[in-house]
Amino acid sequence: MFDIATTLFSSIALLLQSGSEAAASTAAIPPKAGAALAVGLAAFGAGYAERGIGAAAVGAIAEDEDMFGRGLILTVLPETLVIFALVITFTI
Amino acid sequence: MKLRQEDGAANYEYVTARIRSRRASLFDESDYRKLVRMGPDEIARFMEESEYEREMNALGSRFSGVDLIEYALNENLGKHFDDVLNWTDGEPYGYLARYLRKFDAWNVKTALRGIYSESPPTEIDDDLIEAGELSDDLLGQLVEADSIESAVELLAGTLFSDVLADAYELYEESGILVPLENAIDRAYYTNLYAGLPSDPSRAEELYVEFVEAEIDFRNLRNALRITLSGADIDPAEFCISGGRLFDETELRQLANNPDELVARVRSSTYGEELEDGLDELDDAQDLVAFERALEVALLEYSDTLSSRYPLSVCPVLAYVLAKEREVDNIRAIARGREAGLGPDEIETELVIT
Repeated sequence: MFDIATTLFSSIALLLQSGSEAAASTAAIPPKAGAALAVGLAAFGAGYAERGIGAAAVGAIAEDEDMFGRGLILTVLPETLVIFALVITFTI
Repeated sequence: MKLRQEDGAANYEYVTARIRSRRASLFDESDYRKLVRMGPDEIARFMEESEYEREMNALGSRFSGVDLIEYALNENLGKHFDDVLNWTDGEPYGYLARYLRKFDAWNVKTALRGIYSESPPTEIDDDLIEAGELSDDLLGQLVEADSIESAVELLAGTLFSDVLADAYELYEESGILVPLENAIDRAYYTNLYAGLPSDPSRAEELYVEFVEAEIDFRNLRNALRITLSGADIDPAEFCISGGRLFDETELRQLANNPDELVARVRSSTYGEELEDGLDELDDAQDLVAFERALEVALLEYSDTLSSRYPLSVCPVLAYVLAKEREVDNIRAIARGREAGLGPDEIETELVIT
């Protein structure tokens, strides 16, 4: 899991570097690419967070069906991260 | 139960969520207060309306009274532990399977004692708990065995085969079961420690801490029993290595001097949990009360460990301990009521956190 994250981040660092070499006066990477990255990374983080919460929620539901509503809400809570990231896309 | 390969990623989140739910549905203090005032039949009815419903219904046509309660308890215990093993994957599965071999040790000891006292096979079979690794077939053959020797032979290839072969010679010389029983316990505890990675992660550290606490408490109980009973036994013989509190030589020195032993425990990491029990021991020299305090302290310590780092195997092990205590408590209540003990007398026998 963490391997994937580190490779991802190092590739982003490369991307930033090559961007700055090409046009030092303007933004490091094109604004749209930046926004895409923001949403993508946020979604990635949300997915990772939901993995653990989802597993625990399914466990709780298996023991007690009444937990379904609460489990569902807790599972999608990290999804708010993606919504915040989407806000970024409107600022450009 | 057949052990499978440990594969897949650890699924601590799923397992701990389920375990905590089951932990919460164990009987609590108020349930026990009700139970100690009931007769055996009322206890049976109470259990029918609880967690034990399925077992009570399944066994109800064949048994009655306290026997029914006891069979249902054993059956339920086995079912829960099998369940837990079914859910777990990866690393925690290995730890849990290793820990649950405690029931293998129990079963083998029960079978050997039964054969030794020449009890009929059905009677021995009643006392087995089907929660370990040994298959039902093997256990069946074990209780049918006509001598200790053939029982030891049957166990070839299991965890206990090597140590039992050695201990059998001692048994032949002395004619008492103690060497065999000690060998089984030692084999179990050695196995708990075996194969742990040299560079433990936080979750593994906690597993080790849990196992060490259990070994320490066991050593402590043995030492106190020997000291207070004044028996002329070398305590080191019963010492299980691996604990944090003391090793064999220290134990030998301390066992001759109860005051020093108590002082040692008081200043150890368990001092806080055991404080009340130790005070009681100082005042009354009451070993039974202290042993119960030990059980309570171990339960509380396991709870502390499991909340300190929730994503580890500790909540599961704490549940196993708590479930065992519950089964013991209900059995004590049912048997006590059958024998005509009063509620207060029974309550002093219960281990309630």
